[in-house]
Formats: sequence, structure tokens, C-alpha cells
Amino acid sequence: MRKAMKRALCAVVAMAMVFGMGACGEKKIPVIGISQYGEHGSLDNCREGFLQGLADAGLVEGTDFTVDYQNAGFDDNICTQIGQNFSAKNVDLMCGIATNAATACFAAAEDKDIPVIFTAITDPVKAKLDSGNITGTSDKLPVEAQLDLIRKMQPEADTIGIIYTTSEPNSVSAIEEYQAKAGNYGFTVEAVGVTAQSEVTQAADMLISKGVDCFSNLTDNNVVGVLSSVLEKTNEAEIPVYGSEVEQVTLGCVAAAGIDYFELGRQTGAMAAKVLKGEVKASEIPYETIAEYGIYINSAAIAEMGMTVPADIAEKAIESQE
Amino acid sequence: MLEMKHISKIYNAGTVTEMCLFNDFNLTVGDGEFVSVVGSNGSGKTSMLNIICGSIPIDKGQVLINGESIDRMKEFERYRKMGRVYQNPALGTCPNMTILENMSLADHKGKHFGLSSGVNKARAGYYKEQLASLGLGLEDKMNVKLGALSGGQRQAVSLVMATLTPLDFLILDEHTAALDPHTAEIIMQLTDKVVKEKKLTAIMVTHNLRYAVEYGSRLLMMDKGHIVMDKSGEEKANLVTDDILHVFNQISIECGN
Amino acid sequence: MLDLIISTVTQGFIYALLSYGIYITYKILDFPDLTVDGSFPLGAAVTAVLLVKGVNPYLTLPLAMAVGALAGLVTGVIHVCFGVRDLLAGIITMTALFSINLQIAGSNLAVGRDVDTIFTAEPVATVFGNFTLLQRKLIVAFLLVVIFKILLDLYFKTKNGLLLRAVGDNDVLVTSLAKDKGKVKILGLVIANALVALCGCVVCHEQRSFSATMGTGQMVFGLATVIIGTTIFKKEGFVKGTTAVVVGSVIYKVCIQIAISLGLPANLLKLVTAVLFLVILVVGNCQKGGTKKHA
Repeated sequence: MRKAMKRALCAVVAMAMVFGMGACGEKKIPVIGISQYGEHGSLDNCREGFLQGLADAGLVEGTDFTVDYQNAGFDDNICTQIGQNFSAKNVDLMCGIATNAATACFAAAEDKDIPVIFTAITDPVKAKLDSGNITGTSDKLPVEAQLDLIRKMQPEADTIGIIYTTSEPNSVSAIEEYQAKAGNYGFTVEAVGVTAQSEVTQAADMLISKGVDCFSNLTDNNVVGVLSSVLEKTNEAEIPVYGSEVEQVTLGCVAAAGIDYFELGRQTGAMAAKVLKGEVKASEIPYETIAEYGIYINSAAIAEMGMTVPADIAEKAIESQE
Repeated sequence: MLEMKHISKIYNAGTVTEMCLFNDFNLTVGDGEFVSVVGSNGSGKTSMLNIICGSIPIDKGQVLINGESIDRMKEFERYRKMGRVYQNPALGTCPNMTILENMSLADHKGKHFGLSSGVNKARAGYYKEQLASLGLGLEDKMNVKLGALSGGQRQAVSLVMATLTPLDFLILDEHTAALDPHTAEIIMQLTDKVVKEKKLTAIMVTHNLRYAVEYGSRLLMMDKGHIVMDKSGEEKANLVTDDILHVFNQISIECGN
Repeated sequence: MLDLIISTVTQGFIYALLSYGIYITYKILDFPDLTVDGSFPLGAAVTAVLLVKGVNPYLTLPLAMAVGALAGLVTGVIHVCFGVRDLLAGIITMTALFSINLQIAGSNLAVGRDVDTIFTAEPVATVFGNFTLLQRKLIVAFLLVVIFKILLDLYFKTKNGLLLRAVGDNDVLVTSLAKDKGKVKILGLVIANALVALCGCVVCHEQRSFSATMGTGQMVFGLATVIIGTTIFKKEGFVKGTTAVVVGSVIYKVCIQIAISLGLPANLLKLVTAVLFLVILVVGNCQKGGTKKHA
């Protein structure tokens, strides 16, 4: 028994030592705790943009603030512990990238007054992150702009096929919006829900066999993760795929009316800078959606599909090939 | 009284490996009889036990206890009035539970296992008494886990546990086969003592011809699903090992064993 | 610093409820029950919906347990009555629960701060009013862990509890005792999943949110805590299994928190878990001497 207690104690002592190390030498420079849900292209861009936003506001990392960056590896339990880590260290500001990370930060700060800034959340209201000492930016997809783009690119098209993960809240709300608004542009939406990444290519086969006129992507992690193999199938079937952000177009989607996550992050960084400087409180500013959407095209992919880009789109589009 | 009437059992029916084990097998065991069963491998001894206990289904026939059919009873239901000691000493007890807990379980056999205290301290004296009769000193190890005991000790406890509650029937399934000769001898003597003291009806399957001759009131020899020798009473009492060894060798040679 | 220890230990206590469940299925019943990955979020989903609807927070505890028990019942029936292998029976229920959870609460459901949880509602708010929320969470989690530890320990000593232990130890004996071992297994799964769902419920109160993905990996976590706990206290015969798994759960959470504090990248956290697992197993095997079947 004594031995076992000793072993248990060892763990606690080790923990104390580790935290002790972290505890000394802080408090002079404000600390920003960044909790990112997982390693992912868009989320990484968000974080980089966030830091750029702070820099744009004249804050220099190392002298004006330091960053404690944590990545949860898409694990909700770790999100929780990261949030508690920040809260216990009394960081000066928490930044939660993606819903689960932001929710965990906000929960950990429930009885403290640490401001939380979120980004890459589609629906902050639904996630109950719209009141309290919290604000941030939403990455709600520009669904209408996308529908408009598809109509212009494919005047004859009737059905849009979309694959989405039923457990991803952002995807579910985006699908709802697609279904509500597609009619206005003369489209019907053929949505296929999946529960795991392994089902995505199968869903693509199904949509192809149903004869959809094009695919449109959301920012769905499962779908984006296997986008290359989806594109292989659609290219063979000569069905164009529209992306939702610049990276997907680079990968081989024909075009996208989408978000630049770096810009989104930068906008968020600007908000954080104001809060950090004490100009406003996070509770005082409402969350923002990104001010402008970019139109991105991939000429090579478009040529492969035998399509042409209407002049008005070509004008404002940004070429995004590799 | 146990009756097996017109039992048929075919393994892998309808396939190339089809094997008819029992075809119109009949056996009656009267109250108070201690039957030892011998036979070569594959003669159907253990299958017979499994049919009685309901661990394997039969194709035709009936099993009756005291005149009532038990064919529709599930395996666990049949054990209400039956006890069984297995060849593997580990099967008769719970290795991670103490002797006291094991005895308490056995003592409560067939009753409702509710939320009252699992170990009845008032009965501990009775358990000790039962264990003391084994003469192995187990009564002083009530809080020792069964897993810490030797195979022979475990088998002794299994025997006591199987016979702790009133039984119609005790089944001994080669219960000394996994033990060393010395321990096997002790367990065999204990078995005889328990069966006599509690006036049990018992069927013992064994490979040890000497045990079959020395113990029990009736001896059966089985071959290919048939009873080829059935001695009881005076006849059994006068039997010596060599008598049955001769018959046994003959059927074994036929089988190519 | 103190705050971090409090919140980490609180996590350990909350998740110990799940460890109790795994202790019953894995250690006692010898049943690798994957239902856990579905019944854990099930408890949270039901809780989130009830809280949003304004149901008394303390009422969500028994209700979550009830739905968890139902999940365990389904796995048990699939396994026992339909003869499906243990691992597959759990996978079937887990897969079904994924959809059911989405039906109950959608992909995510947040509980606003205006809603009272078991940590903020009366009578806890009054009785422990002098403590901070962080401390209150620790107290409530501790109380829950102790209450259920006592209940389980008492249960294991009843006739029914003895039979449950027997079925995992040697199910042939249970048949010999004229008891239906299938029913006993089902009962074990029911109790275990009720506890797992209770854990999901408390996590939902603590995090104020449900997410469809929160169940992923909970079975592995639970196994780790049970193995850590029981290996550490292997030689200490008088330390109850329930106590051991609570310690295991706390140690696990502490290790993860240390890894985070050291700034280990998340991608390495799983490796830390694996190494921790291995070290404890190897150390445990070196000082062997018990009679346990499992490492």
C-alpha cells in the first residue's frame, strides 16, 4: 500500500514540478492561449492570420504578448484540458479555433473574466458563444455567392450534389441554407450524409450515378480530407466540383466563392488586439462574419471540363492553381 | 431415478463427416446408485453426460428424472437438482474469489440472488465443518482466493461445493484425470465418502479402470454409443481390474487405439 | 497552479464514473464493451436536451443513467439472445447510438450560461456557496465518485454482486448454480452503461455542451484507467478495484495535463498515452504475483 501511495504521489509531484516551471517568470508580458481543434489546413491558416492581425495592430510577439499554442488533435477531452490549463494559468486572452476548442475555452473560463476570442465557427448563436466575455468571427459559408457562381458557370445545370458529415454542425447548418436557397437560383440539392471519412468516396459514386450536374463542397473536414480521390472520380465522370475555399481550388476544384481563412484569422486578430490593448471588452463587441468573399478559379481544371469562364467572373476571380 | 429412453444423437448430420453417436440408447439409473462409466475415447461417455445436463441437444428420445421429462429445460435449469464436478479443477470454482465467497455462492444454489449480503457469516461455521471433513486444512483458509490453491485443493472444494445443497444427481466428469496420482487417490476417496454420507445418486466417468472397479455400486463399459458391459450388485463386487481390462483391450484394438 | 491541479483532479473524478463502468465490463465480466463510445455521448445528449428544456439539473443524473442502462440492455440482448460475439454486439449498439445521438441532440448542442447545472443549482449553490465554481466542481465530482464507489462496493458484496463477479470469473460455475449466465451478463452491461452515461451527463454539465464526436476513444481511455489503477494496486489486496480505477483515472488526466503543460504537440499526446500504457503494463508484469487473468 505504501509503495502504491508513493507511486501515486510521484505522479502528483511530477505534475507540480512541471507546472511550477511554467509558473515562474510570467505575468509581465500578456499571454494569449491559442487552442486549435486539430491540425488542418484551414485552421492553420486561421491561426497564422490571427497572429498577422495582431502584428498589423502593432503588437509584437515576445515584447507585447507571448503565445501559448495548443493543438487538441481533434480530441474533445484534450480540448477540455487545454481550456482548463489556460484558465488555471490565468492567461490574458484565449483564442479558440473551431467550435469544440472555443466551447471548451469558454467553459473553462466560466467563473473567471478571461476574454475568449473564437474563429472558424459557423453558427456562434447556436453554439451559445454569443453572450458573455466572448466574441470572434464566423466562417459561415457564402452560400448565395456560391449558388450565383455555379449558375453563371453552368447556366444549364439542375442539380447540385453535396456530401456532408451528419455530425459536423457547420456542415448541417450549411446544408440547411443550401436547401433553403437553391430554389432561388433554379437548383435542386442532392445531399448525401456520411458519418466517417471512409464513406465519402462511396457517397461520391452515388452522386455520380444519380447524374448530378456538379458537386459543391462545404468546409467539411471528412470530405476535404479525401478531396483528391473524390476529384479523381468526378474528373472521370466529367462533373465539375466547386470548392468552398481557396485551398480546395488549388487542389483541383474548378472554382469557389469562398473564404480566405487567413483573412478570417486576420480579422479575428484585429479584434483580439483591441481587447488586449484594453480598448474594448470582448463582451462589448458582437461577433463578425467575414467582410468579403473571394472568387477563386482553377483554369486548368476548368479547361479539362471543357467549360468557359464568363467575363464578369473572370474579371474578379483570383487564379488559384498550384 | 434417471432414465434415458431411445436417445439418438447424430453429429454433423447431412455432411460428409456425419457421425451417428447414439442410436436408440437406453439407460436407467436407480436412486442411490453410484455408477462408474468406462470406455475408450469417442465411446460416448462424456456425450452422455452432456445430454443429461443439456449442454448438447439430442435428435430423438427422452431424458426423465423421477419420471418427469427434462427435455425442455435449459442447461442451467437442470442444475437445480444436479451437481457436476469437471475434469478441469478451474471450472468448479471462481479463482478470484475467496473460499468463503465460493462456498456462499454454492450454498445459495438455485435460489434468488438478491441484494441481501452475499456472505452469510452465520453459515461460516457450517462451511468450515464441511471443509474440515476433507482433512486438507482448507477450513483455516476461508479468506484465501481459490486461484492460490493447488489443483487438488481446488477440486476438493469443487466437490464440496457441488454437493453442498440437496441433489437428485451428482455428475463426475473424469474429475480425477487432471490430478497427479496421489492427489487423484485422495479426491477419489473423498468422493466416495461424500457420496456415501449424503446418500447421493452419482454417475462417474473415468479412465481409471481401477477406480471403476473399486468404487461405486455399478459399472458400465461403453463402446461406440452402446453399453457393452453392465455389472452391478454381487457381480460388480466380485469384479477385479483384470476382468474388465481384457474386455477393454479388445474393444480398443477394434477401434485401432 | 492550484487551480490547474483542482481542475485536473476534477476531470479525473468525473471520468472515474466511466472507469467504474469499464471496470465492471472489462475486469469483472471480461467483456470488451464498445457500447461505451456510444453510451457516453448518449448520456450527454439526453442531458443537454433536458437542460435546454429547463429540467431540474439533478434529475438529469438518473435519467441519463436510465438511457445508458437501456443501451447496455440492447448490447446484452444482442450478445446473449442473438448469439452475436461480445465485441461485435458492442460495435452494433455503438454504431446505432451514433445516429440516435444525432437524432436526440443534433451534431452539437450547447447549454447556455443562463441554465443552471449540477454545479450551480440549488442546493449546491447555497451549501457550497463560499467556494469558487472551480472548487465546487471538484466537491460535486468528488461526492459523486464517493457515492457511487460506496454503492458499487456494497453491491459487489450482495448475493447478486457475488453472482456478477462469478460470471466473469467462471461462467461454467454460474450455470452449475442453476442461474442463467446470460441474464447476469446483461445485468452487468446494464449497470456499466448506466455509469458510463452518467459520466457523459456530468461531462455535459461541466462543459455545457454535447458534441456527437465526444464518445470517440472513451472505451480506450476507460481501459487505460482501469489497467493503470489495477496494476498499481495489484499487490495491495485490500485496495478495492473501485478505488484503484479512480486513482487510475486521475493519473491519466494528470499525465495528459503534464504533456500539455510541457507543450507537447497534440499529435504526440496519443503517443504519450501509449507509452504510459506500456510502461505501466511492463512494470506491472515485472512484479507479477497476483492471480489476475489480465495484465
